[in-house]
Amino acid sequence: MGCSSSVPDRSAGRIGGINPDNGGVVDAKNLKVKLVLLGDSGVGKSCIVLRFVRGQFDPTSKVTVGASFLSQTIALQDSSTVKFEIWDTAGQERYAALAPLYYRGAAVAVVVYDITSPESFSKAQYWVKELQKHGSPDIVMALVGNKADLHERREVPAQDGIDYAEKNGMFFIETSAKTADNINQLFEEIAKRLPRPSPS
Amino acid sequence: MTSDSNSSSSDSSSGRDDRNPDSGSEPDPNPESIDQSLDAIENQLASISMASRSPTATLDDDEEEEEDQSAEQLTIGNGSVEEEIGVAGAIDSIEDEHIVDNNNIRAELPGVIAESPSFEWKNISEGDEVERPLSPNSSGYAGERGSTSGGDDVNDDEEDTEIRVVENDGVSGSHEQWVSGKRYPDEDDASVSWRKRKKHFFILSHSGKPIYSRYGDEYKLAGFSATLQAIISFVENGGDRVKLVKAGKHQVIFLVKGPIYLVCISCTEEPYESLKGQLELLYGQMILILTKSVNRCFEKNPKFDMTSLLGGTEAVFSSLIHSFNWNPATFLHAYSCFPMAYATRQAAGAILQDVAGSGVLFSLLMCKHKVISLVGAQKASLHPDDLLILSNFIMSSESFRTSESFSPICLPRYNAMAFLYAYVHYFDIDTYLILLSTSPDAFFHLKDSRIRIETVLVNSNVLGEVQRSLVDGGLHIEDLLMDPGSRAGANSSHLGQPRPAADSSGRITDGFVGIGGPAGLWHFIYKSNYLDQYVSSEFSSPINSLRQQKRLYRAYQRLYASMHDNGTGPHKTQFRRDENYVLLCWVTQDFELYAAFDPLADKALAIKICNRVCQWVKDVENEIFLLGASPFSW
Repeated sequence: MGCSSSVPDRSAGRIGGINPDNGGVVDAKNLKVKLVLLGDSGVGKSCIVLRFVRGQFDPTSKVTVGASFLSQTIALQDSSTVKFEIWDTAGQERYAALAPLYYRGAAVAVVVYDITSPESFSKAQYWVKELQKHGSPDIVMALVGNKADLHERREVPAQDGIDYAEKNGMFFIETSAKTADNINQLFEEIAKRLPRPSPS
Repeated sequence: MTSDSNSSSSDSSSGRDDRNPDSGSEPDPNPESIDQSLDAIENQLASISMASRSPTATLDDDEEEEEDQSAEQLTIGNGSVEEEIGVAGAIDSIEDEHIVDNNNIRAELPGVIAESPSFEWKNISEGDEVERPLSPNSSGYAGERGSTSGGDDVNDDEEDTEIRVVENDGVSGSHEQWVSGKRYPDEDDASVSWRKRKKHFFILSHSGKPIYSRYGDEYKLAGFSATLQAIISFVENGGDRVKLVKAGKHQVIFLVKGPIYLVCISCTEEPYESLKGQLELLYGQMILILTKSVNRCFEKNPKFDMTSLLGGTEAVFSSLIHSFNWNPATFLHAYSCFPMAYATRQAAGAILQDVAGSGVLFSLLMCKHKVISLVGAQKASLHPDDLLILSNFIMSSESFRTSESFSPICLPRYNAMAFLYAYVHYFDIDTYLILLSTSPDAFFHLKDSRIRIETVLVNSNVLGEVQRSLVDGGLHIEDLLMDPGSRAGANSSHLGQPRPAADSSGRITDGFVGIGGPAGLWHFIYKSNYLDQYVSSEFSSPINSLRQQKRLYRAYQRLYASMHDNGTGPHKTQFRRDENYVLLCWVTQDFELYAAFDPLADKALAIKICNRVCQWVKDVENEIFLLGASPFSW
């Protein structure tokens, strides 16, 4: 993964990192969770986040540098709320060594690939393995096939995604940040799957 | 190689096809094939120069005549420039004459110029693009070298094609409309259009693998890269180092940085020192993204392919290369401050100072590429070149504008081996904050610091002042008052005051009044050597178009290089007149002043004006410079 000179040693076992309060729980009805997006460059991670947080879609591709930080709160039907603190990481190879900085302590990882790119699907599998090895043991993982609007150029069958997700205990969904298809569903589904603190 | 690059220029563009394909991707240590490679690049260069050769040729005699005219010396008068420079001025003018003589001695050595004390790529005697001094022994190049200035400059660099498209009316625009990112990615060294580009930049590895090319696709340029590598290693094998190759109108400048090679191929007639400085900045920009520890990758695997590590950074490099045309910071090695009222800047500085030291290494509040305020932790100092490549990196990476970000960056002059962690937040479209920390876990701390800073900036209306000052601009030459004695109540020369109508009292009434400032003053740049900061006057008529601005910057750049030429300099004053400008340069221990006047400007008056400019800058220095606000030294 290129140069990793001053990247923190992931075996150092530093706690916290980019994680303000480890619990992430404000109270039983209002959760605050750290969410990280991982995936190859150009699969649309930033587009998914911006669609979710701001309802916007910008077709001009803007390469993410390092990682962007955004947050968004959603209300669930049972009148509880979940505040997502989202780390939208850069997909470039040179940032791969920095990923632990962002996924350490994350309650949710969204691994994104592009349904028109088998390479990005392989990269997604790499990230899933990485998270299984180094992420939190109880992390909620979602596998997202983005750019579903480009179905005529599809190269990764939906079934491949479903199968891989099932094998790895992940939640699977295909989305389109462009058409907003399944974007809110993705985050609502994640919210439902979050472990709830037992009411005290 | 050294002697026949000229004759090979008649080989036509088919020369490229003579290249031994095997010498392309796998440079062979076998000297014979290196020779073949050298032949190949020679042919390539020759065909490049064929492609862009100007049909207009000037006679040597004409040029020498014009040179004499343009090298008009600064004479001793009674202005205070002379008072200050005194005897030194007289010595200067003798030196300058000596330099003019050198003109004819200086041989424009074609071919490889190795690092040796006897060679100097001098430009002091070059009047302008127009006045190309040609030595007798370089007459073989007359046809190529003798392109007339106007034509060459007007056509200068396709790099601005987009600008012209965007602003068809051609009047004052801004470089920000320039389209960033990789352009002409489909070209390679076989494309005629690629060969015609006036200024190429390449980064390659010591094994000849392409890393970055300004134009064209890196992978398709593998053969060309390998040829460049072969030239460098051929000279290195001889225990020497190649700095510059001349092939007709083209200069090929080499810079070796460990396993990274940087090459510029240019026919823009910029001085060698300037182009070398640009390669240094390009290297610094790469280090900012990757740190120097990228060298370790080459220790492990000499054939390591670095292109993927720089994925998505084309816009950063192309924006830096574009800034070589418009940003004087690229050759002055100084930074510019955003002009604003002293009290406002103090308020901004105070809150930055407040957060510094609590784990923040540097806090920078910037508006575009100008510094509003900047504070470093104790003993930490930021080099102007680092500031340049940092602000370029941030402004050219669009994602920073979308949301707050946290990214590793390296400041090569601070510590080239390690990453710092940058928190970046845009307050509005132009104004942004950079907080740098050594800790990768500092994000939330820096975010909290930003919230504190933002509260203060909003409460003290700093951001509103910035927007207002953006509209007003900085120093307008029209506001330059001629007589310091009559300045009672003449606050108009201060910033943040309503600017008076065009011909208010206090303006110069004696002598020639140009279209721009008094006495034909068109523009100036003042650099404070203590502060490592410079101020550049706002452009006004007739330097309106981007093309004229770029031409003026090129002239300043040449002036700067000639004043700082190690072989003949440093010099203290220079006065030069050509068909485009009168340029006056004055270098002291404290400051450097570069001023451009109407070509018909009167010399004595121009000198007087320069003294006034210096006085003016001193009068408003706390509005245009960041003065000792913090305990760091540069």
